[in-house]
Amino acid sequence: MSWEATSSASPQKRVVHHARDRWFLKHEAILVLLVLGEWFYFNAVGPRFGSLDNTFDILRHSAEIGLLSLALTPVILTGGIDLSVGSLLGLCAVVFGKLWRDAAMSVPMAALLTLMVGAVAGSVNAAFISRLKLPALIVTLGTYSLFRGLAEALTRGVDTFTNFPAGFLFLGQERWLGVPAQTFIFVTVSVAVWIWVHCTTHGRSFRAIGFSFEGTEYAGIPVRRRIASVYIAAGVIAALASILYTARLGQAKADAGTGYELYAITAVVLGGSSIFGGVGSVHGSLLGVLAIAILNNGLVHARQPREVAGMLTGLLLITALSLKPTFEWIARSLNRRR
Amino acid sequence: MTEPPPPSPTTTQETEVSPTRSVLTPFHGYFREWSVAVALVSLLVVLRFAAPGFYQLQPLLSLLTRESPTLVVTAGIALVMICRHVDISVGSVFGVCSVVAGLLWSRHWPAPAVFVATVTCGGLAGMINGGLVAGLRLPSIVVTLATMVTWREGLRWVRQGEFVNLPENAQWLGLAQFSGQLSLVALSFLVFVVIYIASEYMVGGRYIYAVGSDREAARLAGVPASRVTFLTFVLLGVLTGLAAWMGVVQSPQVDPKAGAGLELKAIAAAVVGGVAVSGGRGNLWGVFVGLLLLVCVNPALTHLHIEAHWEKAIQGGVILIAVLADGWRGRFR
Repeated sequence: MSWEATSSASPQKRVVHHARDRWFLKHEAILVLLVLGEWFYFNAVGPRFGSLDNTFDILRHSAEIGLLSLALTPVILTGGIDLSVGSLLGLCAVVFGKLWRDAAMSVPMAALLTLMVGAVAGSVNAAFISRLKLPALIVTLGTYSLFRGLAEALTRGVDTFTNFPAGFLFLGQERWLGVPAQTFIFVTVSVAVWIWVHCTTHGRSFRAIGFSFEGTEYAGIPVRRRIASVYIAAGVIAALASILYTARLGQAKADAGTGYELYAITAVVLGGSSIFGGVGSVHGSLLGVLAIAILNNGLVHARQPREVAGMLTGLLLITALSLKPTFEWIARSLNRRR
Repeated sequence: MTEPPPPSPTTTQETEVSPTRSVLTPFHGYFREWSVAVALVSLLVVLRFAAPGFYQLQPLLSLLTRESPTLVVTAGIALVMICRHVDISVGSVFGVCSVVAGLLWSRHWPAPAVFVATVTCGGLAGMINGGLVAGLRLPSIVVTLATMVTWREGLRWVRQGEFVNLPENAQWLGLAQFSGQLSLVALSFLVFVVIYIASEYMVGGRYIYAVGSDREAARLAGVPASRVTFLTFVLLGVLTGLAAWMGVVQSPQVDPKAGAGLELKAIAAAVVGGVAVSGGRGNLWGVFVGLLLLVCVNPALTHLHIEAHWEKAIQGGVILIAVLADGWRGRFR
């Protein structure tokens, strides 16, 4: 915002504004370059990196964090945050396992109920945040602890659910039509969320809410209901991610998805969303997920320890964030000189 | 978009202050702090009758000693939150500082040098966070998210989960266990009281409140807002280093995973104690009571024969109840 504020005050306004609209200066374009750069680099370093098998491996492993960042994109667009998605993934995985094993339900039925549990958990967040107008950071910090604690209490901290039927594990471990089975779900949800956020009136108001809460309210948009919908959707998507997680690993434990929320937030912010809301896109977040997933996988192929990937993700995030303020600072000082 | 949106005009909830001085005067404006205190006292009373075993000196002292690093970190976190920022990297910084202290100690550095090095290490980490937040005006939650991941993974890469063995005389600084515990608890209380006094009665402390309530207004009034933010983060880093040192001397080994989850515990304590994430509100004695309440949950569970797996769920519930109370009183509106 400070960019527009400074440029509108100076005669260079149009120059700056147009330059910003050019495609090669957009955040997503830089991310595409980053992803391509990573791809070519790891291709040159690791011989097996570019193979089709490995590409599918990357897709398979990024499905859950990808889903979580899809859940978080609308949340962050409205200027909120949801720290509880990782814990909710753990809770839903445990609930799914319990419904299937202890309540002897069929897998589809258990999955359906798990999605509903996700919706209920999401509405707890939604009620606190949109009804009572409490800060999202604190509310979801509370539910972060609450959901993980419930998962631990349900399993007494040790119980693990395994031996799922082969038909269910197919979803996470096998291929369908030559592509990892969970890709279909991931792509469907991605397209759905993209259309929701970018092409519907409902979804486009998220940006407006994040940009100016009161302005949107005065424009006659039911802001509270919109915000509630975002958190409920996040709960449902996290529940879906828990099912994919269980199917991929073949087991459900209380610690499922620990720390996933941080990776998902990293991906969304790397994808160009502002943590204060109002700026960001779904395809940007997906590119962010891809950049992190390729980095993780590629470093393994380059025979680097796994921890380096985590470290580089953090550094990448700081660099991505500091680029824009630094450029703005340069642009400001150039403007001043003229 | 580097600047946080301007705070929405908040109405202070203490409009009903009575014109006459009454016995209740000191309670006005501290509703939250007193209600947490009442909750804590009632928990303690329940424990008195339901679980007399809770009130034995040695277990109680051990509990306080175990939590003394958390107390020190919580003081710093509360200041950062009053300044309208948040720092989720403290757990990772704590881990890095602990391992640094352990490595130096195992190479037979003298104890004061280890202390200085650990605190400096924390201060440097705080300077990185503070520089990015105050200098480049980046959102603190994202910056500290990034540094959190970077430090934690870097530590895992370098140490590969290996414990550091400390020399014999390191534990309790060569003192007997009882006096060692007592001095650690005393040290943490002393640090906390100093910070409390500084935040209430000294110019620097009031600057933190000013910047947290309205950064722009504070700047126009002559408060060096960026420098205050930067120094608050550095102070938190220094306190984290101190806390790491206090954690290291408690055991014969240094766990490379030390400090995992510390950030959430400290933030939770600050929130329960009445610090608002919207900045400028809360005070340290409330935070102290909030932390005590959270810390007592776990031993209370064991003494009341509730399974320990419920701990996290109950802590989450306490946080939600605390913000719920705020919501009803319209504190955030």
